[in-house]
Amino acid sequence: MSSRVRWRVRAGHGFVAAYVVLLVAFGLVPTGYAIAFAFTDSTGAFAGLANFAAAASDFRFAAAAGHVAVYLVLWLVTLVVFVVGLALLLHRVTSRSLSRSLRFLYYIPGALAGSASVLVWLFLLDPAVSPAGFLLRAFGFDTFGQVVAPEHLPVLFTLIAFWTGAGGWIVVMYGALNTISPDLIEAARIDGAGAWQTARRVQLPLLRKWIVYMVILAFAGGTQLFVEPQLLSQASVGVAGRDYSLNQLSYDFAFRNDNVNTAAAVSVELLLVGLVAAGVFVVRSRFFDAD
Amino acid sequence: MPTDTRRSAPPLHPAAAPRPATSRPHGKARSPLAALVLGFFLLFFALPVLWLVLAATKTDDQLVHGDPLSFGSWQALRANWEALTAFQDGAILVWLGNSALYAFLALVITLCVAIPAGYGLAKTEFRGRNTLLVVTLIVMLMPNATLVVPLFLELNAVGLIGSMWSVILPYSFYPFGVYLAYIFFTTALPTELLDAARLDGCSEFGVFRRVALPLAAPVIALVGFFGFVANWTNYFLPYVLLPTSGQFPVQVGLGELLNNVPQFNPTVGELAVQRPQLALATLLAITPVLLVFLFSQRFLVAGMLAGATKE
Amino acid sequence: MTAKLDSGTSQGNGRRRIASLACGVALLLSACGSGGGAVSTRNEFKPVEQTGGKVTVWVDSTRLAAAQLYQKQHPSVPMEIVTYDGNANGSNYLQTKVSLFNRTGGGWPDVVFSSQNNETTWAVQAKFTAPLNKGLLPQSLLDGWAPGANDPCTVDGTLHCLRNDLSQTVLWYDATLMKQWGYQVPTTWEQYEALGKQVAAEHPGYLVGSAGDTFTPEIYLWAGKCGANQITGPKAVTVNTTSPACTRMAALLDTLIKNGTLSVSSVFSSDFGKNHAGKILMMPGPAWYGGALFQGTFKVPAGRIAVAPMPQWSGDNTPSVGNVGGGTWLLSAHSANLKAATDFLTWVTTSDDYQGKVAPGYPAYGPAARTWLANQNSSGYYAGDIAAPLQAAAGQVWPGWGYGQFSQEAIWAATVTPGLNAGKSIVSMLPDWQNAIVNRARADGYQVNQ
Repeated sequence: MSSRVRWRVRAGHGFVAAYVVLLVAFGLVPTGYAIAFAFTDSTGAFAGLANFAAAASDFRFAAAAGHVAVYLVLWLVTLVVFVVGLALLLHRVTSRSLSRSLRFLYYIPGALAGSASVLVWLFLLDPAVSPAGFLLRAFGFDTFGQVVAPEHLPVLFTLIAFWTGAGGWIVVMYGALNTISPDLIEAARIDGAGAWQTARRVQLPLLRKWIVYMVILAFAGGTQLFVEPQLLSQASVGVAGRDYSLNQLSYDFAFRNDNVNTAAAVSVELLLVGLVAAGVFVVRSRFFDAD
Repeated sequence: MPTDTRRSAPPLHPAAAPRPATSRPHGKARSPLAALVLGFFLLFFALPVLWLVLAATKTDDQLVHGDPLSFGSWQALRANWEALTAFQDGAILVWLGNSALYAFLALVITLCVAIPAGYGLAKTEFRGRNTLLVVTLIVMLMPNATLVVPLFLELNAVGLIGSMWSVILPYSFYPFGVYLAYIFFTTALPTELLDAARLDGCSEFGVFRRVALPLAAPVIALVGFFGFVANWTNYFLPYVLLPTSGQFPVQVGLGELLNNVPQFNPTVGELAVQRPQLALATLLAITPVLLVFLFSQRFLVAGMLAGATKE
Repeated sequence: MTAKLDSGTSQGNGRRRIASLACGVALLLSACGSGGGAVSTRNEFKPVEQTGGKVTVWVDSTRLAAAQLYQKQHPSVPMEIVTYDGNANGSNYLQTKVSLFNRTGGGWPDVVFSSQNNETTWAVQAKFTAPLNKGLLPQSLLDGWAPGANDPCTVDGTLHCLRNDLSQTVLWYDATLMKQWGYQVPTTWEQYEALGKQVAAEHPGYLVGSAGDTFTPEIYLWAGKCGANQITGPKAVTVNTTSPACTRMAALLDTLIKNGTLSVSSVFSSDFGKNHAGKILMMPGPAWYGGALFQGTFKVPAGRIAVAPMPQWSGDNTPSVGNVGGGTWLLSAHSANLKAATDFLTWVTTSDDYQGKVAPGYPAYGPAARTWLANQNSSGYYAGDIAAPLQAAAGQVWPGWGYGQFSQEAIWAATVTPGLNAGKSIVSMLPDWQNAIVNRARADGYQVNQ
């Protein structure tokens, strides 16, 4: 048996070998490079924490960190509640074609990434021409400028991110729900469990790994907020969303001020935040346990 | 979390009732509240898209003055198409072709790499397995603002700058997909099934190919689909890495079109792109993604256990 | 969760602030140091070995016609024409690519068009641009540019780019309406304000201008000699947004915004197109408003739109106008075919064939501008002669407003526009505006005087 085990170990390496090559070339080396940037100056000499200090002393840093924190809370709650909720609801739709069509329609905005949706949001958020203009006017907004007022931005970014991102996760969750044996659900039903109890006692625990994965990525994605403010900034010609998030600040350092080192420092900070959160979730959910 | 039920054996109800013929739970699916919620989100997700589709059929004037959800005219659609394809002598078609080439080649590599890797991480024990999982997570969580410079230097060092491989190879590294495959194989593929195949004398690779792979259709579709979309919609990497506009994928092309719309860039001259043309270009750019979605959706939801396929 | 996050951030800030003090000093020193170093190297431009070969030209899609026309007229010149976004909307594409090319030591284009005027603020330091007035181009040719047109290209007396087009501001107005209502075209800001009040009373809904664009400060405050953006050196700026010149113009804008004759929507917004575009009596704005806005976007019929000189404050006998944009051409210091590249650069900025007859913007090169104006007048779109006021304005752009690395438009958009939308007055926001400029300039390494 021990030779069998050794063979299995070798096979394990075989399965991951190609991936490891790509991981090193396009993941590890650039990341390592970027981390090295964060601790060196433009001449390549070791700079200690000077880049971190330079980033933190920028007049936009504190504000950007605050923006990101507010957005993160809104985004995580919205995503987890509605994605899991909608996936469960869709899974209970008895008509297959209806369920399939709904998933497709929910997903479509996912194809509209980045610059593809600038036009959509420019018109959608302008009460003068928006198909949802009545809604905006009901909230008391008469012009685009009022809609994109600074205090509305976290909600707008959550809306935009949810609109583009939720459909994909709904599909993932729906697929995951399908991997749960129907016997289990049936058993719960016979046991007298309602929809709510089935979801809570059977389906949610079995979705745990998927939800944890989504939360880890959504948390990191939220702290790295970039696309949504950039998009709104383009749609509003710079009125809203420029210099809004830490990641935008990082881009600014890297490509406007040609200061890759300070940019890397911001990136490393965001990475750390993402990793700490991921660590907490991974440990608490035993995410890495093999089967 | 008290429940750790990854197996198909129900821990709470070992004496499950005889299986009913249908696999679908008979819930109270027709509750009006559920319908209301699903309907609301349908509007939320689809209404802007409907607007975009209609926008492509209008003139710029109609876009501003007409009803937002009205149909323009076929003539306007045709005129928009002609104006769009006239932009830089049909650049939009070149961009679409580039996107298709890059996304497809990268997709093939991604699938060949990510599915076995996810399987290996989930179903085999080897030294470095946890390290690999952690490292993958780290690079996945790294913000990419600063990754572009190292990537550029690296690709330059191996002489790939200017070639299409400078974007295809980084595209094909898709840690997100590896994790999807990893979670799928850990949660949905019973180890007993693999052990049985091993007892039958299958090699490790044979177990993967004969047992795991045929059951992995949902996750192959999932990784394939998300990988394709990620490649298709990637903006920044090709924007920075590719040297000439003739090599740009459509996503970067859309950015270029956007910069030629007077409303976004007042300084453009008479060759300006009108907003309905941009809407049409956007529709062209997202159509392949939607087609791939429709195609892969058939596999996405296929159930896990052999024979228990739903839908 | 929230509470935990918050306390974590604020603790971090305290520590960072201490470190940042020391670092800020270090940054200042290093900025000065590099500035000094640049001076010594700037005079000794040594071309790379001239091996000839292909001339690579980067243009935006509007300028693509220029490069293609040149290629057609000069088929023997080996050219590679690449289109890019022209750095529009602060995309910084050129800067990003040049910094990557600088790291790898190759790949630079020979000639580049940029839709931004401030490229020299980074390109000189990045040693990307070749000096043009140190032997490459004769002074007699350079004298043909409109006075001050090449100021944004000049760093310490060395010319590092050539201005493509000017965007001097003038007063656009609807000649038909003016006549119909019996109004006189205002020549002073006082008359302009008075007419604005009259329009508000007699023809409510009609506009005498717009203050909703990101370039509003460049139209009104620049023309009004407000010293918000006095670039005094490669890395030095003097900012004073609360001087009488600034507050006076801001107060005028506030009055007219309040009575509804100045719009706070961007002239390119859907709201403006839907609700205001047909009700414009006057509109101070740049030279390109004629073609791009009135003819192209608003589709005003021919024979209505006319041009008058920008109003001036009464008693001020040095007329001044603002400027909104205009692009530049850069020549790479790394070009291995400087001769062919310079020939193209000369042709594209000065030739009548392109600048005079094809170019959409007002040519910065004087002789070409005369052809361009003659063409515009003969098109029959405008009511009356537009050449005289535009030509006069070309020489009156107030030189006290410069081009820093930071974008004044972006600062105004993020600082003042949201306040305008919320109903605040511009006068009340001038200090905030100043603060934002100062912060932004310092972040870009500028020495700021207030």
